[in-house]
Amino acid sequence: MALIAFEKVDLTLGGRPILAGIDVSIRKGEFLSVVGPSGCGKTSLLNLAAGLLTPSAGRITYAGKPVTGPRQDIAIVFQDYGKALLPWRTASGNIALALEAMNYPKEKRAARIAELLALIGLSRHADKFPNQLSGGMQQRLQIARCLAQDPSVLLMDEPFGALDAMTRQALQDEVLSIAARTGATVLFITHDLEEAIYLGDRVIAMRPNPGRFEISFDIDLPRPRDQLTTRERPEFLKMRRELFDVIKEVEH
Amino acid sequence: MIALPQLSRVGWLLGSVGVGLLFILLWYGIAQARLVSPVFLPSPERAWDALVYGLTEGDLGAKTLGTVERMIYGWLLASLVGIVIGAMIGVSEAARAYVEPTLEFLRPLPASAMMPVAIAILGLTDQMVLAVIAFGALWPMLLGTVHGFAAVEPRLYQVSRALGLSRFAVIWKIALPSAMPDILSGMRVGLTIALILAVVGEMLASRPGLGQAILLAARSFQSADLYAGVILLGMIGYVSSVLLGLCEGRLLRWRQSHH
Amino acid sequence: MSAEAKRLDWRGLVIPVGFVVGAEFAARATGWESSMLASPSGIVAAFWTVLIDGTLLHATAATLATSLAGLAIGSIFGLLIGIPLGLSRTADRLMEFSIEAFRPIPAVALIPIALLVFGFGFRMEISIVAFAAFWPILILTRAAVAGVEPRLIQVARALGFGATARVWKIVLPAALPRIFVAFRLAAGIALIVAVTVEIAANPLGLGYNMILAQQTLRPELMLALLVWLGVVGWAFNHILLWSQKRLFGPAAMIRIER
Repeated sequence: MALIAFEKVDLTLGGRPILAGIDVSIRKGEFLSVVGPSGCGKTSLLNLAAGLLTPSAGRITYAGKPVTGPRQDIAIVFQDYGKALLPWRTASGNIALALEAMNYPKEKRAARIAELLALIGLSRHADKFPNQLSGGMQQRLQIARCLAQDPSVLLMDEPFGALDAMTRQALQDEVLSIAARTGATVLFITHDLEEAIYLGDRVIAMRPNPGRFEISFDIDLPRPRDQLTTRERPEFLKMRRELFDVIKEVEH
Repeated sequence: MIALPQLSRVGWLLGSVGVGLLFILLWYGIAQARLVSPVFLPSPERAWDALVYGLTEGDLGAKTLGTVERMIYGWLLASLVGIVIGAMIGVSEAARAYVEPTLEFLRPLPASAMMPVAIAILGLTDQMVLAVIAFGALWPMLLGTVHGFAAVEPRLYQVSRALGLSRFAVIWKIALPSAMPDILSGMRVGLTIALILAVVGEMLASRPGLGQAILLAARSFQSADLYAGVILLGMIGYVSSVLLGLCEGRLLRWRQSHH
Repeated sequence: MSAEAKRLDWRGLVIPVGFVVGAEFAARATGWESSMLASPSGIVAAFWTVLIDGTLLHATAATLATSLAGLAIGSIFGLLIGIPLGLSRTADRLMEFSIEAFRPIPAVALIPIALLVFGFGFRMEISIVAFAAFWPILILTRAAVAGVEPRLIQVARALGFGATARVWKIVLPAALPRIFVAFRLAAGIALIVAVTVEIAANPLGLGYNMILAQQTLRPELMLALLVWLGVVGWAFNHILLWSQKRLFGPAAMIRIER
């Protein structure tokens, strides 16, 4: 059953066509990866799904109804975590922001914050300010804040792009486990082909100028995924090769 | 660069106080040797005696209080107006477009230059001095606030929309804390200006306060009283700066970078 | 730069133009005579008069002369003390108390002392301006010298430069842009302090002429001088900004800030 659907969506900003003919249905509980070269409109795609932008043509629906603006149950994880967190609030305080916005009952907030901090492994750092945390921890904190919204959809915009390889892998597995546990639908933007295949149930590759879908295929790899064994499977390598060729071709 | 021996903080503090005392000794030496006429440079003990006498038996205490009161009232008034109006201007791009060029033109005007205008309108009164202090202190606060609100990280506005925060919540929880460093910095500068204008205002309008006191002391060649007053003014500046610094430190705890 | 930015944003002119037009209209419509305020046309007329009879230029020259002289003296001392303090952490820490003790003294508080020593005139004003300009130069030069990219100094040492050569070839050139910004700041302060001294006590220059105009109940002249003062301050700052861009722009060593 489609949770988010793009129906013949075009997007023009400042006179320039950003996206053209976007047509996709994201199933409930699906993990959809989107890859593409820079400038192919991946971020705009995500902003449209979030309700932060309105399409110039076509429409976007959520659970069958048109998207008119941001919804509390759609959470966005940005790449620049440093800028998306409130530097003057502690880790607890940052998570609390989402609860405040939801008018979550005051008596229950502390418990929920503790629960979320434990989920992402930051319990010991509850009273630290963001600039006292490492990059990976800050990104985890942003994810925790998003989870506080009890989202049915997680929109992630190259969330691990600014992190080192080891942290990235740890967080990839954490996202997979969170998605499995909560049953959330995930739209994951990245330019890392292996990450896209590793994480997703389906992957879409885009081409730029204007942004369009080039190719899409299902990822038939078993879950749960494993950083070592999954990445060595012949199917993984085959899909990686295919994506690589597509991206190389559209980059020109 | 010279490598430092690992002295404790207290050690360095004592060392620098020691150097300060050396300067005072130098002052004493110059005064004793009469290298400069005592009319211009009284000996440190005479200045100190005048200070103590003025505070205990004379009216120096009342005059200090007068100057401090003026400074604080004017500064608080300017803060209130500056922050409220600054916030309103800062959050609206349209308002900024209309107002900023005018502000930019008015900014370099010295507040003291408004004094003749203020005298023309209000006469040589306490209200005139207060008005000039408030006007002078207003600018850094207004500009600091506008800048602080205008410079809020745009990503945070997106986050607010995604979370569904109300307009009030956005200003109170996001914009205001984000602008706080700039607002406080503007308040700091405003306080310095308030002190300066209080002194000038007292001198010009002959209002009771330290400014008037030191001017009178100069006219009657009472150099010890004069220096005593100047020292007091320095102390007012110092104490107010330290107090404000403490407040800043507490409000802006999160800026300490431990990483 | 986008096409939108290049086009003059007319919204910024609405308030000033509206104000001037409104004031002129109010003055004419009410036929209002005042010893306190004047109409814009009256101000322009007064400005023209003092321009022609030389008073304006004379006063401006006096104020600028004292500002620049005070700035020069304050800068020299500021650099002489600021650079060594920036280079030597030891000296800096030892001087901390003395600097923090003297810094909060408002320059205007020294007016009576200067009056005592010099009486009225140029020297008194220059000394106060020098005191006021000294502090920002000292503090910011110290910070600029101490804040030189440590990597550059490491490179200098690796290349085998001795201490003097390091200071001369690396530290000072690296600190120069920020020192220039300090100088620009001090220049603004110098002008303001000069005018303040003239208003408070010293019978020369633009400030004095403003007080005189107020006392002789000539508000048009007083306001004309006020506007002129704003123009002078603005021009002064922009000349320095322009020089900053010319001197340091190509090397991209500094962000252009106001």
